[in-house]
Amino acid sequence: MTRKTSYGLNKLLTGLAKEHATRERMTEADLAGHTLNADERAALESGDITRLYHLGANPYLIRRVFRPRFKV
Amino acid sequence: MAEIVAAALMSHAPLITGKPEVQKPEQRDRFYAGYREIRRRLVAARPDLIMMFVNDHLQNFAYSNMPAFCVGLVDAYDAPSPGGARLMRLPARKVPGAPDWGMALLEEGLSVGFDFAYTYEVESWDELSVPLHFLLPDADIPVATLYINCGAPPLPTPRRCHAVGAFVGSFIQSRPTTERIAVLATGGLSHWVGTPDNGRINEEWDHWVLDHVTRADVEPLARLTWEEIERDGGNGGQEIRNWVAALATVPGWKGETLAYAPVAEWITGCATVWMHR
Repeated sequence: MTRKTSYGLNKLLTGLAKEHATRERMTEADLAGHTLNADERAALESGDITRLYHLGANPYLIRRVFRPRFKV
Repeated sequence: MAEIVAAALMSHAPLITGKPEVQKPEQRDRFYAGYREIRRRLVAARPDLIMMFVNDHLQNFAYSNMPAFCVGLVDAYDAPSPGGARLMRLPARKVPGAPDWGMALLEEGLSVGFDFAYTYEVESWDELSVPLHFLLPDADIPVATLYINCGAPPLPTPRRCHAVGAFVGSFIQSRPTTERIAVLATGGLSHWVGTPDNGRINEEWDHWVLDHVTRADVEPLARLTWEEIERDGGNGGQEIRNWVAALATVPGWKGETLAYAPVAEWITGCATVWMHR
């Protein structure tokens, strides 16, 4: 069994990564129209990269989109 | 008969070119020198085509349709695109593909039971852009690609990647041409990207991999599980699949490590390896 995957998180992040867009945290507008549960929304809106990982976001996508959140 | 005239394995990471200002410049210089030595030997081998085992980073293949193995039928690769060029600090450019050669590989694969996906368009990220910046500055040799899913689990097993590589090797040797082929793999070694351990490098595991490559002892690499790689090599270490596939095209060839540098700023255990017949 590999790790948990959230399609909702990855679909949102994939779209932004393809556009080479980065975020510190997501806005209401970023999330509009996406299927996400309350935990996922909270993690995206606060830019909690560790929580996003545990909720099943792909780490490459977390890295690409939330680049300003990483120290290295 | 077509022939494999060169083989090499090397790391890729966007910050290899994107962040050349590092704390230990001797590491950067050693690793760049490794790429340049591969370039020198590659030119001397006079390949007509470069076959590359690489992986996407969710740039091309999405969770709506994720191929385990995908043959590039691309006329010209974005390597990099204007968007990717900024982070990698490389000029945007196109590198010529080899769509007819890719189609022959695809059709032969399908006929013997390797049900590859295929794509006519690739916007490469660091998997092609960074190594080819050093190896193919003039973009004067066509590139064929086989994309292996190393980044969106569940992933194909290293064992299956070995079988795919062995098939590609036999495909090359069965070609009724005199073409000279170079086989490259990019990716690895250990790195933790975007995970809670982001930035970790496991030098011990890197040396374990290089030691096996040096002795042409591929079996322990092919036997690795996703869990073992995730634990010891990180999510980025899963790219070792590309190496296993390339190694399977040249059974018995032994690796010479040209450079190894665990560069903290590039968050990757960086290696360049030339394979000897």
